[in-house]
Amino acid sequence: MNLERELPTPTTAVLRPRGRLTMAAATTLKTAIDGTVADGHHLVVVDLGETEFLDSSGLGALVGGLRVARAAGGDLRLARVGTQVRTVLELTTMDRVLTPHVTVDDAFAAG
Amino acid sequence: MLDTPREERFDRVVRLAQQLFDVPAAFVSLVDTDRLFYKAEVGLGKTEAPRAGSFCTVVVEDDEGIVVRDATDDPRFAASPYVTDDPNIRFYAGQPLAAAGGHRVGTLCVYDTKPREFSDAESRLLRDLARWVEKELVVEDELRRAGEVQASLLPRSEPRVDGFEIAGACVPAQQVGGDFYDWQTVPDGAVVLTLADVMGKGMGSAIIAATVRAVLRSSSRRATVEEALADAELALESDLSAAGSFVTALHARLDPTTAVVHYADAGHGLTLLRRAAGDHERLAPTGPPLGMAFGDERVGAEVTLAPGDMLLSVSDGVLDMLDGSLDSLAVLDGVLAGAAGAHDAVERVVDLTRRQARRPDDVTVLALAREG
Repeated sequence: MNLERELPTPTTAVLRPRGRLTMAAATTLKTAIDGTVADGHHLVVVDLGETEFLDSSGLGALVGGLRVARAAGGDLRLARVGTQVRTVLELTTMDRVLTPHVTVDDAFAAG
Repeated sequence: MLDTPREERFDRVVRLAQQLFDVPAAFVSLVDTDRLFYKAEVGLGKTEAPRAGSFCTVVVEDDEGIVVRDATDDPRFAASPYVTDDPNIRFYAGQPLAAAGGHRVGTLCVYDTKPREFSDAESRLLRDLARWVEKELVVEDELRRAGEVQASLLPRSEPRVDGFEIAGACVPAQQVGGDFYDWQTVPDGAVVLTLADVMGKGMGSAIIAATVRAVLRSSSRRATVEEALADAELALESDLSAAGSFVTALHARLDPTTAVVHYADAGHGLTLLRRAAGDHERLAPTGPPLGMAFGDERVGAEVTLAPGDMLLSVSDGVLDMLDGSLDSLAVLDGVLAGAAGAHDAVERVVDLTRRQARRPDDVTVLALAREG
C-alpha cells in the first residue's frame, strides 16, 4: 500500500491509501491517522477511491481511527468507497458509523 | 520435521551460505537414529544419507561446531566413507542446531572437495547463519503446538438433538487462526451455537479467539443470546481495545421443542437460511461487531425452522474464495443445493477450500438443519 496525505487546513486532513488495505498496511494507516489527529487535524477524510481491497484489519484501522478522531473532538469520514469496501462496511453494519460519501468535498460538508 | 518438504525459509539460508563461502555444497541436516535428513541443501542433490561415518554426527555433539581444513589429515574423518568415497570431502565446517527445548536436532554445514582455510570471521558468520536456522525451527515448533491447542478448543462431537443435525468445520489459513465455532447444550435443554471471526489472522487473532470463546461459553449458560453477547462485549472491551481488534459473531440458541432459533448477529452477516422449499435469505446483522459498538444496545431476532430447513453460517474466508461480494452468497447457496443435511453442507464448503491454490483467510462453517 502507498499512502498519501494532504492537509487542506490546520484542522483537516485527507488520507489516500492506495492498493490493498490488509494487515501490514492497516498498521501504517492507523499510525498515520493517529499522527494526523495528534497534529491537530481532527477532521480526517479517508479517500478510498484507489483502495482495491479492505480486509478486517483494514476495517479495524478505520474504526480505530474514528475513535481517535472523535476523542479529539473531530471525526473520520470515508469518501469514494468501492464495491468491495462497501460490502465489508455493510456486512459489519459499520456503514452506520463510517458513512460512505461520494466525494471528498461531500465528506467534509457532511454534518 | 523429519521427511517434511523443502521450505524457502530454510532454502534461502543454505543458498546464502554456499555463496558466502564459495563452496560446492551447503545444507541443513536433521539427525535421525541412523540417517541424516536434509531439510535444505544446495549441491547434494539428495534428501538423506546414512549417519554412520558422517561429519554431522560429530558436529551435533559439539557445542562450538567444527572446522576441518583437510579431512585426510584428521584422524576422526580420514577413514570416513564421505572422505574416501563420493563426495570425497576435504574441507568441512559445521554448526550444531538446537530446537525449542535446547536439545540438538541437526546441523548447518558447508563442505568442499579440496582443502581450504576458514577464518575466525567466517566461523562467526556460519554461527550466525546457524542461529537464524534455529530461530526458524523454534517458530515452526511453537506454531505447530499452538495449532494443536487451538484444534483442541473446537467441539469434539456434535450434540444429539432429536429432529436436528448440527455440524461445523474450521480450516485455518495458517497453523492457527482467528475463526472458531462452538456449541453447547445449556441447562434448559436449548443448544447454543456460535461462529466467530476475530480481526486479522495468525497467532495474534488466535489468542483473542480463545478468550472470546471462553467468555461466550460462560455468558451463554443462563442468559439470552443478546444478553450473552452484551456480557461478553463488556468483559472483552478493554482487551479488544488494547489489541485494536474486534470480533464478528453469530450467536444462536435453538429451542428443540419449538424449532425456534433465537439469534444475535454482531456484524457478521454471513448466515444463510435455506428453506426446504428452495428459496434462501441472508440473516442481516442485528448489531455491530464486538469491540465496535458505539453505544448500541444488543438486540436479537428469531426464525423458526420448518422441516428440511437449514441455517448455515460461514466466515468471510468463504466469501473471499468466491468473488468477495455479497453475490457470493447466491453462489454458496448453489453449492448447497440438494445437500443431504448439516454434515453434507459443511463438507461441501470445506471441499471448496481444497480446490483453492492459495487460501488467504481462515474458513469456518457451521450448519444447523432440521430433519425433513
